Amino acid sequence: MEKKEIVIKTNNIVKKFGDRTVLNGVDLDIYRGETFVIMGGSGCGKSTLLRHMIGTLKPDDGKIYLLGKDITNLPEDEMDKIKKRIGMSFQGSALFDSMNVGENVSLPLREHTKLEESVIKIVMKMKLELVGLRGFEDLMPSQLSGGMKKRVGLARAIAMDPEIIFYDEPTAGLDPIVAGVIDKLIIDLSKKLSITSVVVTHDMESVFKIADKIAMLYEGRVVEVGTKEEMRNSKNQLVKQFIAGDPDGPIKFFQQKDDYLEQLTK
Amino acid sequence: MQIKQEDKSGILVCYMTGEIDINTAPEVKKTFDKIVGAKKDKIVLNFKGVSYVDSSGLATLVEVLKGLRSYGGKLKLTNLSTKVKNLFEITKLEKLFDITSEEEEAIKAFS
Repeated sequence: MEKKEIVIKTNNIVKKFGDRTVLNGVDLDIYRGETFVIMGGSGCGKSTLLRHMIGTLKPDDGKIYLLGKDITNLPEDEMDKIKKRIGMSFQGSALFDSMNVGENVSLPLREHTKLEESVIKIVMKMKLELVGLRGFEDLMPSQLSGGMKKRVGLARAIAMDPEIIFYDEPTAGLDPIVAGVIDKLIIDLSKKLSITSVVVTHDMESVFKIADKIAMLYEGRVVEVGTKEEMRNSKNQLVKQFIAGDPDGPIKFFQQKDDYLEQLTK
Repeated sequence: MQIKQEDKSGILVCYMTGEIDINTAPEVKKTFDKIVGAKKDKIVLNFKGVSYVDSSGLATLVEVLKGLRSYGGKLKLTNLSTKVKNLFEITKLEKLFDITSEEEEAIKAFS
């Protein structure tokens, strides 16, 4: 049997912002070709964890391995080489407002390759076709809806044919059909091209459509990792409450009443 | 990336070996610019030795096809691995290219 390759490994990651511990000993293994979803409520540390995986944040403690390399304290020039092999699709699409859609998608190819302009133009059109936006290359970002901007951001993320794509809330703010298109795209890229996808989301519909494996993060810790079936049948009360969207349970959304009054009168 | 060219009764068969990706695509483009410049009109690309093609590789092949079509030249692709074929499908390029499973089939279609 073929041995599965780990492409991302986090080893006991700890991160503090001031007094607040955002990640508190995160251990995860992500294998090549799988779609790995990190779910959890707002502020549970999932976007922070993602930023550690792509090397934009350094942990206070612990190690991170990306594509076989320890990136915990990797010099910037070496990290840049690895970054060419990954794609990032962020919550805000992070498009350059002064560039049109085509220029935004072409940018990584112009900056990092020696491809001829005619070839770059074809790649750009292929990527826009993949996200359903071919023909929109001359429009400016200000002329696009939020969902379209997100898809342009995704087209740019896949411009260099990355081995791993990181998605931060890919379906947030999109209508159900566009969200479905993005979900299908994530699945297609993963399955047909063996691209590894790491998706941070709290969109439960999307989670159960796309995930091969799911990790639930709560208060900076991984409380459970499993397949869709395993998570659906989990006995963990935190997982059960989150999946059901139940306001009552161990996950507290409000401070204690006394704390509130105390804070007001401090 | 290596491209071995062989003339088979007026049909140019190119045996491709290696990966056609962001790093090798510019070199592949140069090789085919010469072939297009020489106005070769029947070309078979044998992908038996190709383990991987990325989007820039595909885009380069589209450019080659465009160049050939400008003077009525024809291009056939053969022996694609499932992985490479998948890439043609996901980018909807399988309809643009004439793809056959075996080289003999492609040559026969030209004769």
